[in-house]
Amino acid sequence: MLSDLLTEKKIRFSPDKLSWREAVTQVARPLLDAGDITPGYVQAMLESIAAGGTYIDLGHGIALAHARPEKGAVRTAVSMLRLAQPAPLLDQPEHAVDLYFCFAAVDAEAHMSAMASLARILSDARTRQALRDASSAPDVIKLITQFEESE
Amino acid sequence: MKFLAMCSTGLGSSFMVRMNIETIVGELGLSDVTVEHSDISSAGPGSADVFFVAKDLEDAAQGLGEVVVLNSIIDMDELREAVKSAAVRHGLL
Repeated sequence: MLSDLLTEKKIRFSPDKLSWREAVTQVARPLLDAGDITPGYVQAMLESIAAGGTYIDLGHGIALAHARPEKGAVRTAVSMLRLAQPAPLLDQPEHAVDLYFCFAAVDAEAHMSAMASLARILSDARTRQALRDASSAPDVIKLITQFEESE
Repeated sequence: MKFLAMCSTGLGSSFMVRMNIETIVGELGLSDVTVEHSDISSAGPGSADVFFVAKDLEDAAQGLGEVVVLNSIIDMDELREAVKSAAVRHGLL
């Protein structure tokens, strides 16, 4: 379940104006600090985005940064960074993102299960808007928990 | 009838779109529709009847056949309309 992964320490807010590189580095920071990913995983995400990876843009201002498990995923983990100002992917205005998620999975099965959990929550219009409106980590956790209990 | 959601890796967004298409196929009560996901490089014109991609793969998907381009892969309203239209085109609705 997403609520097991996205804990308070893994949810951050930033008032700063960041570049997409800074945003990806910062959203990955809690996972790096916890040892969930290696520095190589962050590098792999940055490289794949630089190579044209606006595919991580889910729409509605939300992006899901991730790399392949073998790039340095130690434990299955998810983090979130909410920005006060958008950090457009590859500096392209049409990819303005102000809600970054970072995602690591240790194998295909864990990958699919965590991805499914995120997809359900982000595809629910009401929960998605509430997530965008949330202003603290406890609020985010409450929203996710409520969504999971309603399923 | 086969719908195929595609992304560049076949791991991330295509799987999300596949899940959402399956939900909508269920809502619409469509029978005889299978939904799969894959990376775009392993898909060919015969891989499916309708291909779903996000905007970033719009150009890469040309030539596959009936391609539906999505603005957002988590927008259920947009996807519902796209799936409905495809179902109507193929006489399923």
